[in-house]
Amino acid sequence: MTSKENICSNDLGYTLGILLLRLWLGVRAFQTGIEKFAGSGKPVDSTVLVDGAPNTYGLTETTATKVYAMSNYNGVPAPLYDKFINEPLIPEFALNIYNVVLGPALIILGLTLFLGIATRFSLFLMGLIYTSLTFGLILIKQDAGIAWLGVHIIMIVMALALAKYNKFAIFKKW
Amino acid sequence: MDFKLPSLSRREFLSKSTIGAGLVLGAPSILKAKASGSPGDDIRVGFIGCGKQQEVLFNAMVNIPGIRYVAACDIMKARVGRTFSAIKSRFNYNINRYLSAEEMLDKEDLDAVFVATPDFWHAPHTVMALEAGCHVYCEKMMSNTIEGARSIVAAMDRTGKLCQIGHQRRSNPRYQFVLNELIQNENVCGQIININGQWNRALSSSQDIVSKPSILPEANILREYGFNAGADHTLSLEELRHRFLNWRFYTELSGGPISDLGAHQIDIFNWFLGTQPKSVMASGGRSYFKDREHFDNVMCIFEYETALGSARAFYQVLTTTSSGGGYYETFMGTDGTIEMSEREAYTNIYKESGADSTKWDELVRRGLLKKESVGVAAGGSDAIASYESAPPDKYALPGGMSKQPHTPHVENFYGAIRGDTKLTCDARHALESEAPIYWVNPAANSHEIINFTEEHLHA
Repeated sequence: MTSKENICSNDLGYTLGILLLRLWLGVRAFQTGIEKFAGSGKPVDSTVLVDGAPNTYGLTETTATKVYAMSNYNGVPAPLYDKFINEPLIPEFALNIYNVVLGPALIILGLTLFLGIATRFSLFLMGLIYTSLTFGLILIKQDAGIAWLGVHIIMIVMALALAKYNKFAIFKKW
Repeated sequence: MDFKLPSLSRREFLSKSTIGAGLVLGAPSILKAKASGSPGDDIRVGFIGCGKQQEVLFNAMVNIPGIRYVAACDIMKARVGRTFSAIKSRFNYNINRYLSAEEMLDKEDLDAVFVATPDFWHAPHTVMALEAGCHVYCEKMMSNTIEGARSIVAAMDRTGKLCQIGHQRRSNPRYQFVLNELIQNENVCGQIININGQWNRALSSSQDIVSKPSILPEANILREYGFNAGADHTLSLEELRHRFLNWRFYTELSGGPISDLGAHQIDIFNWFLGTQPKSVMASGGRSYFKDREHFDNVMCIFEYETALGSARAFYQVLTTTSSGGGYYETFMGTDGTIEMSEREAYTNIYKESGADSTKWDELVRRGLLKKESVGVAAGGSDAIASYESAPPDKYALPGGMSKQPHTPHVENFYGAIRGDTKLTCDARHALESEAPIYWVNPAANSHEIINFTEEHLHA
């Protein structure tokens, strides 16, 4: 095997590596943003079967369906919002802006990463979002969540390090 | 040739006809014979008492078809107005408003009446409505005295009218399923030896009710309606209004917490065991609300003799704490425990480790139970093996009820009026179940066990 073939082989690995990181981080951000629009639809009642036949008592089993709607949107989940609002280092107006921006930002950055549009810039912005989330979790002492976001940051840094091998992209500048 | 028949209400017809007396007893069969589906088939309904419980009942029946709301009465004008508005906004028609039940029953042609007044008025209003030819749904307790409750049974028998008592769990499909299928048919509990029930309420839910004075009845009205009963001095307007809003605190007006809250659940003890208790011992105190006439906390033990052996039922009603998981009735047997509650969230079923697993697995397979989790020992360094029992597996009912808790009971009442079904809790059966409850406060006051005789419990 020649040294040229070795270089090509290494490049292919890096190219696939950045592609995988882009896909993972893109899906992770995009679907997280979409889920902020999820809520419960109208519950559906079905009759409970006993011995294979509808029970005679009228017992029902309620199945809640999941629906997506603009009206369901919560950028910061309500339990976290209630905690953040009481934090002196988080002004209410800033929290409200963050609440509005977070979901769309995750969706847009997820899409740009997935499609390869300004990959390095997208990765950097995504890293800033995860850093801001880390700040909030530090205040409310959610160490497990902080560690989980730390893993995301490591993956983003790895993707930035491999950015020069980013071949399957729509817009490579930035 | 045109004929115009004279306008005559059914009540006028019954009272004026020479055969009216005979038809009164036959009235249920007349109602049963009516063709369904036509507007004339609507059950004409009136309300006596328009407070909170009437609101609960009305909300439970708003989706039941075939009802025509006709009239409502309450001595508090604002409450009647609220009922009028609720019906107007929901159904877009007007009802007639009264301040007197007698006047309403005299003037209106009603098929059914809902009595949701203070406990000490249940019996007079129910008897009055039954004798006016109406079927009656009366809130529990039937009365603040056992004599009052007996007068309802007598009036029901005398008039031949239906009288449903508001022990709504009796019509709840979850309760019916547990009793008929799990306890009676499948005997999942084995021998039920102990029962434990409670209704614990936080202090915040046990405070005095207050209202804007300008909408409350005047002193002469409150005296006329007996809100001064048992007072040892002439009550001021403020005192009378406190009694009007907080009648549950006064011994002459209600049975207190054991009656308000305990009656629902002690009824389940008797219903599920299929028998009345043999005795009661009780303890109670005005431990926090020292100025209230009734006990704020009561604990009692009923002893039963069932076909399988003796059993004991402990019940507590506490108005100073919400601890202990709200309200439930737990039936503890040798094979399993069923923790029932009107709230699905408080309902759990447990299999003893020694019970036949094959049988329980089969119940799951057939759809009678759902398995939730396998019992896991708590463990820890403080556990001493010889003290511990193997943890029970946890199960759940296969389904729930997709209606408000009172709706099936009201549906049963209307169904019985139409002749489609039998009442699940008529006054006679209700009194058989309620009778022991009337003796809890006397037992707590005397600190003596009351061994029940026919005299204590008969209907």
